[in-house]
Amino acid sequence: MHSSTQHRARRALASVASATVLALLLAGCQASPDAASSAPVEGGTLTYASGDAEPSCLDPHVGGNYPQALLAGQFLDSLVSRDADGEIIPWLATEWSASEDRLSWEFTLRDDVTFTDGTPFNAEAVKVNVEHLKDPATESSTGYLALGKVESVEAVSDTVARFTLSAPDSALLESLSMPWLAIESPAGIARGMEENCQAPIGTGPFIVDEWVKQDHVSLVRNDDYNSPPADAKHDGKAYLEAIEWRFIPDSASRYAALQAGQVDVLDNAQPDTIASAEKTTTLAHLDAPRPGASNRIELNAGAAPFNDPAVREAFIRAVDVNDGIESLFFGSAERSYSPLSSVESAGYSDESLFGTDLDEANTLLDEAGWSEKDADGYRVKDGERLTLDFPVSTNQSIPAEQSLFEQIQATAKQAGFDVQLSLLDLSSWYGVLAENEYDLVSAPYTKVGPDVLRILYHSDGIVPAPSGYFANLSQVSDPQLDDLLTRASEISDNDERSDLYEQAQKIILEGFHILPLYDQQNHFLLSTEVKGTRSMPTVSTPTFYDTWLAGK
Amino acid sequence: MTPGSPASKVERSRSRRVSRWLLVQLGGAVFVLWAVATLTFFAIRLIPGDPAEAVLGGPGSQASQETLDQVRREYGLDLPLVTQYLQALGRLLAGDLGSSYALKVPVADLLGAQIGGTLLLALFALALAWLCALALSLWSTGGSRTAASVGQGIELTSAALPHFWLATVLIAIFSTTLGWLPPVSTGGAAGIILPVLTLAIPLAGFLAQVMRETLLDTLDAPFIVSARARGESERGIRLRHALRHASLPAISLSGWALGYLISGAVVVETIFARPGLGRTLLQAVTLRDVPVVTGVVLLVAFVYIVMTILTDAASRLADPRLRSAETRR
Repeated sequence: MHSSTQHRARRALASVASATVLALLLAGCQASPDAASSAPVEGGTLTYASGDAEPSCLDPHVGGNYPQALLAGQFLDSLVSRDADGEIIPWLATEWSASEDRLSWEFTLRDDVTFTDGTPFNAEAVKVNVEHLKDPATESSTGYLALGKVESVEAVSDTVARFTLSAPDSALLESLSMPWLAIESPAGIARGMEENCQAPIGTGPFIVDEWVKQDHVSLVRNDDYNSPPADAKHDGKAYLEAIEWRFIPDSASRYAALQAGQVDVLDNAQPDTIASAEKTTTLAHLDAPRPGASNRIELNAGAAPFNDPAVREAFIRAVDVNDGIESLFFGSAERSYSPLSSVESAGYSDESLFGTDLDEANTLLDEAGWSEKDADGYRVKDGERLTLDFPVSTNQSIPAEQSLFEQIQATAKQAGFDVQLSLLDLSSWYGVLAENEYDLVSAPYTKVGPDVLRILYHSDGIVPAPSGYFANLSQVSDPQLDDLLTRASEISDNDERSDLYEQAQKIILEGFHILPLYDQQNHFLLSTEVKGTRSMPTVSTPTFYDTWLAGK
Repeated sequence: MTPGSPASKVERSRSRRVSRWLLVQLGGAVFVLWAVATLTFFAIRLIPGDPAEAVLGGPGSQASQETLDQVRREYGLDLPLVTQYLQALGRLLAGDLGSSYALKVPVADLLGAQIGGTLLLALFALALAWLCALALSLWSTGGSRTAASVGQGIELTSAALPHFWLATVLIAIFSTTLGWLPPVSTGGAAGIILPVLTLAIPLAGFLAQVMRETLLDTLDAPFIVSARARGESERGIRLRHALRHASLPAISLSGWALGYLISGAVVVETIFARPGLGRTLLQAVTLRDVPVVTGVVLLVAFVYIVMTILTDAASRLADPRLRSAETRR
């Protein structure tokens, strides 16, 4: 009886509510012009201004970097996606299950999706894509790495694809959600790399129409689109007719073009332009921190002086980060105290470890044997100055971040650290890291999910890749940490997985291996006429599937 | 005129002289191109970074050994450096510039698509700079003390303006504030105005400085005095006699100027987002895309050489002393 009363009450409430909504809607239709303009409008071309380097190949399987992901998200779909809460949700695959030993995964696929060249999407297509990613001739880096534990894919039927793994992989679904592992037409892949790089073929809401190198990529709408991810705001084809994707490397020019109405959206918005845009009524700001690691300075524990934990702690006590972030980023970046991005639900942060205390820094250094100072005020031990080499990539660190490093250099000097900043282009920077000639370094790393911790902090990550690249730049080598990270990467239970990652992050933070700064900055500015744009909760690239242009 | 007459001897010796001059120029050109190709080939390998990574989507690649091996084999990067150099030289001799590591298209196609925009930009800028420099130097040497010092001030200031700063200021004035011109080039004719201004203003400063100096020297020269004595108008003296002299150093500077403009194009094309050789070069150097870097550098060297030969020829036409000096030899 109790329940039926409740039921009736709820029904009554519901009818009142729906009547109110209806009344409001009617009122809106008649009176308010706002309500009319909030209904999506079909048509129009969106002009996007990218500050990233122009990709050398539009197929994100080849190489696999962020500029490729930005574009690929508009014309390729993936097997799964991730929602705003971090849950994996259906996309081209409707459901999935793992075997008891977690070495075999079966994905059930949509049976009504077709690539834009007419090729049907099916289990065979998934198999071809995985094989394409794993083939050395594809020259894949990101996708290849993410599929490290996948041995083979088998088409059980048209709509069921079975993945066979060499070891359990708790990050498999997160990996498959990334645009670098998106699904392309097998017929498109078969055309060979040169043609496929020029215009990859997917099942996505847009189609690559033309790529004029050094100028723009033209995307046109896929009128037959029927496969949006589960969290999209509408069904069917996109509202926009076309996207013009332009490459405008200079930040000030990009912003001037947005102000002049030459472009509708820009990426890589710098703190000064964000602050300026927020004062206008015609521009909107989309803050889309990237997943994976936070932006942090790594302290190289693999060599002196940072092989001494006391010196690492002294450095962290000495430097003042917060004032710099406040003054240089105009409120566009929030201080982080975690190894992981704030979009990762498994992130653990501990502010108490990162207080500034110059006296404490001085005491720690005195006790660590760096008690004398030379004529320039820098500490010395056995005739060696307390020098910290800090190579900075001008491609990866924006000007505001470079200035922040200069402030860090200045505050570290007060404790007697001689921080040697060197600004380098990307190739030279990787060269210096490969030669192990650094004490401090800031290297962004984008990946969906907390498994990025294993890549960055497992001792396996100190072993360089054939190109000389290694991911564990703080060179943490701790068997207990290794064990936690390995177990977390294989475990099936989500809570246990989060718990293991929390313990791992504690070890990293408490060992003073990193100085977290803020999330990986990823800011977009849009004309307020651009409506309905969101960033994908996978790698935070904006999607223009739900976007429409108002007032045109 | 019969063969063997003095006039025909002069004619023959002149054509011999011209062909010898051309031969020397051509030999020099080939030598310069070879030297440029060689220097570029080795210089780009001296800076850190692996060209194989350019193929793999840029530096910091986590490619597997198999993938790296595959790429090195495909592009011959596993061969000894000397072999690679000889192969590259052989290909160049056959007129093959190779394929871009990063973009995976023939370098010739890439440059062919980009050179038009850069040359257009450079030639417009050169023409505008010449016009401005002529007007400025004629005005500043007109006799007025104020004009002289103001002109000199304008020359010095504009010659010292860095391209990136000028470009930003021009965008701020003409695009953001006044809204007259587009800040980035999107194909329309209006898009080229700001880039041309950015390149032309500092160059006009340089050229005007040189022209004014020579103009002032020339105006004191004896032949001007005698022209004045013949009763030529001041205007006629300046336009007909003095200007010809004053333009000589500026003509020979134009070869240098084109090189200056193409290097300025790296900055200007990046800021105004114009497709062109400068932007191509910047991207190729960042990626260690050796064939593209070599291709751009060779092409620029080639244009430079052609311009030098042309300005040489133009100087010889404008200045009879250059010709008679050789006759006397």
